Amino acid sequence: MTLGRHGDYFLFFGLPRRLAVNQQDLEQRFRALSRQFHPDYFYNSSSTERLASLERSSYLNDAFRTLRDPIERLEYLLKLEGFAPKEAHESSTQVPPALLEEVFELNEELEAIQEMREGGAPAADVAARLDAARKPIESNLAEHERQVSALMATHDQQWHDGDLAGRHATLEALRALLVERTYLTNLIATVRREVGGDAAAAR
Amino acid sequence: MSKVVGIDLGTTNSLVAIVRDGRPVVLADESGDKLLPSIVSLGDLDTIYVGREAQRRLLTDPSRTVYSVKRFMGRGIEDVAGESRWFPFTVSGEAGGVVHIALGDRDLTPPEVSGFILRELKRRAEAAFSAEGDFDPEVDRAVITVPAYFNDAQRTATRDAGRLAGLEVLRIINEPTAACLAYGLDQRHQGVIAVYDLGGGTFDISILKVEDGVFQVLSTNGDTHLGGDDVDRLLVELVAADTGLDPEQHRDAVQAVRKAVIQAKWDLSEFDAADIVVDRLPGRDGGYRRRVTRAEFEALVAPIVARTLEPCRRAIEDAGLTASQVDEVVLVGGSTRIPMVRREVERLFGKTPHSDINPDEVVALGAAVQADILVSGRREMLLLDVTPLSLGIETMGGIVSKIILRNSTIPASGSEMFTSFVDNQTAVDIHILQGEREMAVDNRSLGRFKLRGIPPMPAGLPRIQVRFQIDANGILSVHARELRTNIEQSIEVKPSYGLTDEEVERMLIESFEHAQEDVDARMLIEIRNEAETILQATEKTLRRPDFEEIAAARLTSAEVTAIREGLAELAAAMSTADREALRAKSQALNDATKHLAEVMMNWTVQAALAGRTTADVESKGR
Repeated sequence: MTLGRHGDYFLFFGLPRRLAVNQQDLEQRFRALSRQFHPDYFYNSSSTERLASLERSSYLNDAFRTLRDPIERLEYLLKLEGFAPKEAHESSTQVPPALLEEVFELNEELEAIQEMREGGAPAADVAARLDAARKPIESNLAEHERQVSALMATHDQQWHDGDLAGRHATLEALRALLVERTYLTNLIATVRREVGGDAAAAR
Repeated sequence: MSKVVGIDLGTTNSLVAIVRDGRPVVLADESGDKLLPSIVSLGDLDTIYVGREAQRRLLTDPSRTVYSVKRFMGRGIEDVAGESRWFPFTVSGEAGGVVHIALGDRDLTPPEVSGFILRELKRRAEAAFSAEGDFDPEVDRAVITVPAYFNDAQRTATRDAGRLAGLEVLRIINEPTAACLAYGLDQRHQGVIAVYDLGGGTFDISILKVEDGVFQVLSTNGDTHLGGDDVDRLLVELVAADTGLDPEQHRDAVQAVRKAVIQAKWDLSEFDAADIVVDRLPGRDGGYRRRVTRAEFEALVAPIVARTLEPCRRAIEDAGLTASQVDEVVLVGGSTRIPMVRREVERLFGKTPHSDINPDEVVALGAAVQADILVSGRREMLLLDVTPLSLGIETMGGIVSKIILRNSTIPASGSEMFTSFVDNQTAVDIHILQGEREMAVDNRSLGRFKLRGIPPMPAGLPRIQVRFQIDANGILSVHARELRTNIEQSIEVKPSYGLTDEEVERMLIESFEHAQEDVDARMLIEIRNEAETILQATEKTLRRPDFEEIAAARLTSAEVTAIREGLAELAAAMSTADREALRAKSQALNDATKHLAEVMMNWTVQAALAGRTTADVESKGR
């Protein structure tokens, strides 16, 4: 992970490396920094200053986009602390071990639904069964969200206490949860698309 | 000190504004007109006419006159093939390249045509400064507005047009954002604001958050090919179906019909019915007349209005909001005068939209405010806009890899690593695209470039970082660096739908050659403009469905006769170059209609008191 010339996003915003962020405070900092760096205020300046303003405000905008979203913020912090998922494609294609059983069941159910569809079952019935098939994954995702929130709070407490070893263990756990979460989100999106197609056919 | 102005370069009309004593004002021409019709006509001896004179020439010399050129900016022939048959001018160009417009024996690109419009606005502003006794009236810098949904090629074409007009374009800003800036001046409008901008040729919706003087755009959406022009075309097609008019055979007749349907469209914003009246039409003795009711009109334009609603919903969703979280809705653009548009917007957002600032002027006012911010360096207000479309590059299999996502606050940057596929490969081809679709072919091609000068190394070893930078204008630049050697690569992007710098330079020289100023001709145009204003105001009154009723009650038959005669005489004088006659007949008609004007004023007041519908009768300065 190479850092920008302006330090990392947290440093740039004058924030500690914690996962909880006060949204309103973040927005205020963003507006203040925008007032400092925006190219609009450097029209009469030298070309070096103009370029610096362009670079800094780009960096600022990227940083704000990342920090305001809790999950993007978490992913960014993981990268900063050396806990990045190994490769982006790995996390989305390989089934995380903890989800193997659930995904296996879902695939069987989807196959059954496919047969049902080919057998000429009414589109509304197919859609309803697809909907039902989605339910367990959705509740699993909700459970993940809860765990992520809890671990984020733990992380911030450990940061506060200066418990480095504990923090690293928490970040490691968060990384694993995030990989699963991404997988679950993609899975749900896939099933939703199928449902959408069937719902459209039912109309 | 030379001057800086704000310019709204519109599809139908263009305006120029400045900040004077801390307030933005729109500058009028010598006849008092604030709107400059965005029409360019090529006269004899290569004289260029812009504005109302060019508008008149649409009827007399349609094949040498261009309107709605904004629809062609940064576009290819394949984009405009469907509508070009309704235009009187000939549009040509190779697929995947810049459109060309034939005017007489000249072949112009859209930035050149727009450049003529900008040059006229520059002249107008300089005349206004001179009239105030300014010793240095030169205007050499401008902020120019574009639809928020304009892509990179369309923005670049607009900037080129400015250069061709001798203007340094300090900034390109988005029209809805400019409008919001004008509204936000007084600090009264805070919170989440939706700007619905339906103009002559383009539609934009922007959702902004206004707080502490910072105008932050949260999301934007739109359609750069949707507006009042489309309404006009539906009405023209209606008349064509009635009369069997062939647009390709009778280009001048189509323009007469177009003028008539635009009048009827305007009337329908005030009245429940209006007549489309065309005096002469090929194959029809006694001309053409057809009554259109508001209900018929709304049935006709409903699909157009509906097409604006989906982008609104997407913009609200992209902002992470629901419609009820929008605090205020602002209407911009002439087409928002259509009652059905107002109704549908109100229904979507669940609140009455407002248009306290004239929707024709508000964008130019905002542009002037932004121009003032740039030159003064004052920091009370700041505009943070977004890029409307995602930016990406084509990867293996024709799939787009997105580098900067839509609705990212600009300036924004992103980078991508490239390497070589074979040993000692020294160049890589890169294709830049803009749009949301997954496949490269479905998106807008912005340009291609060859990354050269890669040091010869085994395949996969070079690490070339390509940096994409979108500046505050929403315009892209590209830089590349080989990280192992730290060598900066020079990149020249060949724009797919734009002009190269050399082409702009050459056009700049050519436009100087043809720049000529004829004082006599200009005076004649001014007199004609004034005459036309009186003509149109009188015709508009006579077209009112209740005119006969009013005349019977309040005017003598001698007065009505005098008005009709005065109108006919002035109309006849319009086709001559006789300045004295035009002046005299204008005065005569003005005198003949004096009592009528009073009567109309009283009638309106009484009708309003009686609770009858007179929806913003006065606010229409047409």
